[in-house]
Order: sequence, then structure tokens, then C-alpha cells
Amino acid sequence: MTRLVDVPANFDDRSFDQFAGAYAQAASGGERLLFDAHAAEWASPYGLVGLLAAGQAAGALGGGGERPLLTAPTNPEVLSYWARAGFFREAGELFEIHGRVPKMKTPTDSDVLLPVTPVRAAEDVHEVVSHIQMRATAILTSELGIDPKATMGFAMALSEACQNIVEHAGTGGWVAVQSYHWRRRLAKRVVVIAVADAGVGFRHSLEPTQAKRFGERWGDAAALEAALIQGVSRFRDPGRGQGLKGIRNYISRWDGKISIRSGTARISIVPSWDDDVPLKDGLAAFPGSQVLLIIPEQGSRK
Amino acid sequence: MIQHIDVHAVLQQSVPGYYADLVTRPTGRAVRQSIERAMLGAEAAVARMDFSGVGCIDYSCADEIIAKLLGEVKVLLLRGLTDGHREAIEPVLLGHGLAVVIERPDGTLGALGLQEPAERLFDELVSRRLAARTPGGVLALTAA
Repeated sequence: MTRLVDVPANFDDRSFDQFAGAYAQAASGGERLLFDAHAAEWASPYGLVGLLAAGQAAGALGGGGERPLLTAPTNPEVLSYWARAGFFREAGELFEIHGRVPKMKTPTDSDVLLPVTPVRAAEDVHEVVSHIQMRATAILTSELGIDPKATMGFAMALSEACQNIVEHAGTGGWVAVQSYHWRRRLAKRVVVIAVADAGVGFRHSLEPTQAKRFGERWGDAAALEAALIQGVSRFRDPGRGQGLKGIRNYISRWDGKISIRSGTARISIVPSWDDDVPLKDGLAAFPGSQVLLIIPEQGSRK
Repeated sequence: MIQHIDVHAVLQQSVPGYYADLVTRPTGRAVRQSIERAMLGAEAAVARMDFSGVGCIDYSCADEIIAKLLGEVKVLLLRGLTDGHREAIEPVLLGHGLAVVIERPDGTLGALGLQEPAERLFDELVSRRLAARTPGGVLALTAA
């Protein structure tokens, strides 16, 4: 028997919890999953890498014998956009895809700063950082009004976000970076970095060194708080844990947002323009970690 | 004696593939180990690291290279740094309570990291006659 997981029509960080709820319910039976994206109208980078993480996790259900199914969007524009964003290149390995999928091309879309890219090892992080420096500098400085000197900080933040997969997930993941005009939510251009994996998540990674310290409070929310706010790491080396702290500092400087979802919790550093909550617990369980970084166009160009 | 290290060249020798960026812990570890091998037997108390040609540095790499090398040598003298490099290196130094000396393009010296250990580094360079005050009162290297 196949269990259905609806992909939200507008699939982004806001509708992700709805998707995670559908996934958790369907996956509990241990049967083959069908991800239905036929009615999809739009997906953010976060939605796309999150869907891949779901596919990765679903492939491991029931002993990992069968790949989950995916019905591709029927809207040609949506389909074309998902292809340009590099989604189907990665999805082909994870899903049995139903529906017409456009031929894979090297993405040329100027808004796709980094197509959906697998991150499995340190070499992948090098490739990502090399690529993004070539593509992102012009967008960050001319369209977002970020000081040219700060564009290296963007690559640094991206590098550290990707390294979380390599160092802590215990499996591979994906990253995507896009720039677009956020008409409804902010009425500004933004650059969005989305990183997702279906690995062990923050709680499992930090449990051996942190669980005792938190006692009964220990859980996904406490693990995220320890990692993002307190800068702790599973390694006892005092130099560890700098990565997320560095990302947080960079994002705060540019009035951006960082949000990390892992297991049943999500933690965010919320800028004034956003109405998210700093910490949300008791969400539907979803494997691994999903990181979202948003940098908006600067109000007064520097 | 000053040990000279061309960081970009060490990066090329230490990791497969042509990369200009010092990112990821494995890369940082490989680069640091190459530097440590090069320093073996040299007994240099001062190492001068030239970052010219290096693209991005992230916190993980800065921690693996700079913070850990400071356990091997008394003074790290960094040159060819961009603002982006400093952005990665300074928080790492502050996190460890450490400092390095930076060599500006005009040859004068400054510090990155905590003030107190930085003063000790200046004193060390002066006592070894590797640096001296210029008539203008700023510190500069006496020997390149």
C-alpha cells in the first residue's frame, strides 16, 4: 500500500510544518510514500531541499527497498522553474518520478545563485563556496545594497551552514541559494540560503555531551537552543561551535533571519520585519535539520 | 628567525583540486599539518603567514589553522589579509583569548584579537629585534 503526502501548493518555510505533519503521519505506517506535488504553484529553496530530505528519509523506510514516488507539478512554468533550480537532477536519484520532467539543463537563471546542490563531503563545500563567490557578489552589492566587503561573510555563512551537514548529519544533504523579490512578506529583494538533510538532527548529535546538563528539559528545542544561542558543539574542543555563532552574527548585522528546524522544534533569530516566534516546540517530527538564512535588501544603501 | 609560509601555496599542496578558499575543518587540518611539518626542526618562534591569493576563510578553517598553530609558535605574523579574512579570524582569536600580529601593506604592525596578549607579542618581537618603533611611534618589522 502507498501512503500519500501532499506537497503544499505554496511550499516554503511557512507551509513546511504542514508538509512535515503529513509526512510524519504517512511515514508512521512504514509503507511506500507518494509525494504529490502535481498542484504545486511555487516552492522556495527551503521547500525544494526539504522535499529532497523527505525523499531521502522515505527511501530508508521499510528497509530502503523501494524509492518513494513523486508526482511532478503539472503547471509547465512551475515544472520549468523546479528544473532550473536543479531540483529534478537530485530528485531523480531519490524518487520514482511521475509526470513530464523537462530535460536537465545547466541552470542559467540569474535568480538561481546556486542550484540545488548535494553536500556530502568537505570537497562539496569548497565547490559551493567557489561557485557562490562568482555568482553572488554582484547580486549582494548591486541589488541588496550590501557592502562589497561583506560578501565574503556571505560565503563564510554558507560554508558553515553546509558544514553542519558534513560534520553532524551522518548523511548527505542539499543546499540552494536564490535571490528573489519578496513582494508579499517584505516588499524587498532577498537572498535565501536553504540547507536540509535527513540525518540525525541536533538532538542526537549533541545528546552525549549536553543531555545531562539540560536534564528533563532535554529535547529538540533544548538542543537547538544549545547550538544556536549558547554555541555548544558535540566536540569538546573549545574552538568548536563558532560556525553557527558566526552565521548568527553575520545575519544579525544585515537584519536577516536565521531559522533552524530539527526534529520537533524550530529556533529562529527573528528580525523586526518578520512575525515568526523565536522558539517553537511540539511540531510534527521531521528527520534531520533544515536551515534557512534570509538576507533582505538593505533599507539605506551602504 | 622567522618562518615564512605562503598559505595559498600550502593550500594547493595540501588538498586535492584547485581551491583558493580556506573553508572546512578537514581543509584547515590538512593545511595546518603541512605547516607544522614545514616548521619541524626550524625552531622558529615567529611564523609569518602570507594570505595573499587566499579567497574566503571560514571560522572552522581559521580555528583549525590560526588558533591551533598558536600552540606551536610564540608569534604568528599575518600579512596579505583582507577585511573578509579578518572577519573570520578575529572572533576565533577572541573566543580563545588569543591574538596575532598583522603586517599592514606599509610594513607597520598591528594586532588582531585580545589587546593584552597582543602587547606581549609586540614585546616579544621587539626583544628579538625583529621589530622596532619608527620615528612616528608605530611598530614596524626590522627584518623582512
